[in-house]
Amino acid sequence: MDSPKITKETKKRLVVDYEGKLSAKERLLKKLKTSNTWIKAVVNVFRFVLMLGVSFVILYPFFARIAGSFMTRADVADPTVSLVPKHFTLEIYKALIVENHYFEALWHTALLSLLCALIQTLVACLIGYGLAKFKFKGNKILMGIVVFTMVIPHRTLKLAMAQHFAKFDLFAVQAWGMKGPIEGIFGEPAVLFNTFWPLILLSVFGLAFKNGLYIYMMRQFFKGVPDELEESAYVDGAGTFRTFFQIIIPLSVPMMITIFLFSFAWQWTDEFYTKLFWNNPEDFYLMPQVYQNIPDSLRLNDGIESMYNNIVQNTAGLMIIVPLVILYLFCQRYLVQGIERSGLVG
Amino acid sequence: MDKILTKTKGFFKNLFGNRRVSLDKRKARSGYLFVLPFILGIILIYLPILLDSISFSMTDYQNTVVDQKPVTTYTFVGLQYYKEAFEYPAFTESLLKGLQQLVFQVPAIIIFSLFIAVVLNQDMLGRAAFRAIFFVPVIISTGLMDSINASDIMSAAAQGGIDDGSGGAATSQIISVLDVKSLFSGMKVGGELVTYVVQIVNDVYDIINYSGVQMLIFLAGLQSISPSIYEACTIDGATAWETFWKITFPMISPMILVNGVYTIIDSFTRTTNPAMKFIQTTYDSRPMYATAMSWIYFLIVILTIAIVAGILSSFIFYQRRD
Repeated sequence: MDSPKITKETKKRLVVDYEGKLSAKERLLKKLKTSNTWIKAVVNVFRFVLMLGVSFVILYPFFARIAGSFMTRADVADPTVSLVPKHFTLEIYKALIVENHYFEALWHTALLSLLCALIQTLVACLIGYGLAKFKFKGNKILMGIVVFTMVIPHRTLKLAMAQHFAKFDLFAVQAWGMKGPIEGIFGEPAVLFNTFWPLILLSVFGLAFKNGLYIYMMRQFFKGVPDELEESAYVDGAGTFRTFFQIIIPLSVPMMITIFLFSFAWQWTDEFYTKLFWNNPEDFYLMPQVYQNIPDSLRLNDGIESMYNNIVQNTAGLMIIVPLVILYLFCQRYLVQGIERSGLVG
Repeated sequence: MDKILTKTKGFFKNLFGNRRVSLDKRKARSGYLFVLPFILGIILIYLPILLDSISFSMTDYQNTVVDQKPVTTYTFVGLQYYKEAFEYPAFTESLLKGLQQLVFQVPAIIIFSLFIAVVLNQDMLGRAAFRAIFFVPVIISTGLMDSINASDIMSAAAQGGIDDGSGGAATSQIISVLDVKSLFSGMKVGGELVTYVVQIVNDVYDIINYSGVQMLIFLAGLQSISPSIYEACTIDGATAWETFWKITFPMISPMILVNGVYTIIDSFTRTTNPAMKFIQTTYDSRPMYATAMSWIYFLIVILTIAIVAGILSSFIFYQRRD
């Protein structure tokens, strides 16, 4: 049982009852006389200013980038222009949208990220639940493998991964000259480059970017869910899967939204895998192409070239994250909520 | 074909419907079903890739054309690449640089994120807004944005670290190094401390940006401490300072281990890490050699994590839970 909570209102009433005979001014004076109030006020102000300062450090690059994105070349060269552009222009945005195919890249990336994030969330949920709630042989070894996939730098597997998805086959270790079932049946291995398949396959098997972290988080979350819930469902005659989908999933929605947000955002800004699996960038536009090339109409050959290119890249960066920031604003309250309930301790 | 069908039917019947097996066994079976995707993925895709990666780091390849078809022949060269990498000073130097960066950043990130999490956990004006702002880096400081930031910093350094406010050097120095130096020289403290603080101040943008997830984890840990413990402390007359060191810190110490390990992994596998950059540039010309290098790198990562986890776990306080 919780102890009865003292809300603000009850506190006020207590004070009023106690000091009911004093006037408002006298009460204030009495309050100020105790040094504790002063210290508290100073600490509060200090804390607020500090938080404001750190927020500024986080947000300043955005402000600077937004300001820079509206500048003309003349403004960039002009040393007196700082933050507020003199000649307002949209030429950088226009060039990026038209020449770097922004909307095409947006659509492709949105599709890919949504697909991957949905699959990854569900799969992380399943695997995390299996690891948290069932005692079977090899449970701990599997958990060790999950941590291993988290620790290994993906550069280490880059070459092997590229080889594998260029000539995709199951089981086959190519360096040993092994042949897998796909080559056995169809005569040659499948070519999965320039398609969604490599990322979808990795997501389905819980092996994609940072999936180890998601599985770990889900496992910790499910460990905090009391066993009695499932036991009562079993007694009522539900199977494990029915229990999972009807009882466990509805109660883990905030955590799932957190995982979804992570995987969506990290897939959205990923360039390692997209660069690896799409070897003809001109055929299929994704987010990395938006910022990598400077549009031809914005190229110039003078002293400020590198600075101007930088501004163009920063603008591209802004355009890449705007959809993410909008999504974040909708989901951010679930972020803390999900983690709070995760019981990550221990 | 019929035989196989009846056999698989029997298998699934055993899995779901066999009433003679005990509940525990049936539960264990459905446990396997839950983790089945992962097991399949490991066997079908991950293990071959892993083995390939190891063998590639020990082979040389040659592309030839036989019957108008491109054919790659692999020749085993043993540990040659590994030896070569160890004798290559630029590589060992980049490894050392990566480790040095780690030593600088990890304590700073942990202390900073713990501090911010403690503050964000208190009741204060605009807490919801601050929380929203502080977790922005979680979703946008990886991958693409990381490399954009990195190129930004480089250009800022090329311009002498002067921020013209045009957005060109959006992430350049926020506080001048000279100010910090003059502040510390008046205080007569050791030179190492000054360099450390200066480096931290220079990296303040990175540190704030890389501590989003850690803040979330710390905040979760703080939320799980029972308020009744704090209540008891207040009644016994403990100050806020004492409460932090005697209650909050020990209770949060498991999170420090989790965050320490996470920060090391994150910092090591980031594309902006000097060693990762070096491996990346080598990869373009000699992929096999770069793979060998990254295996060496991986061993160092594992070793570092083991050492740090070993040290940290001896300081951890675990609350006994009933």
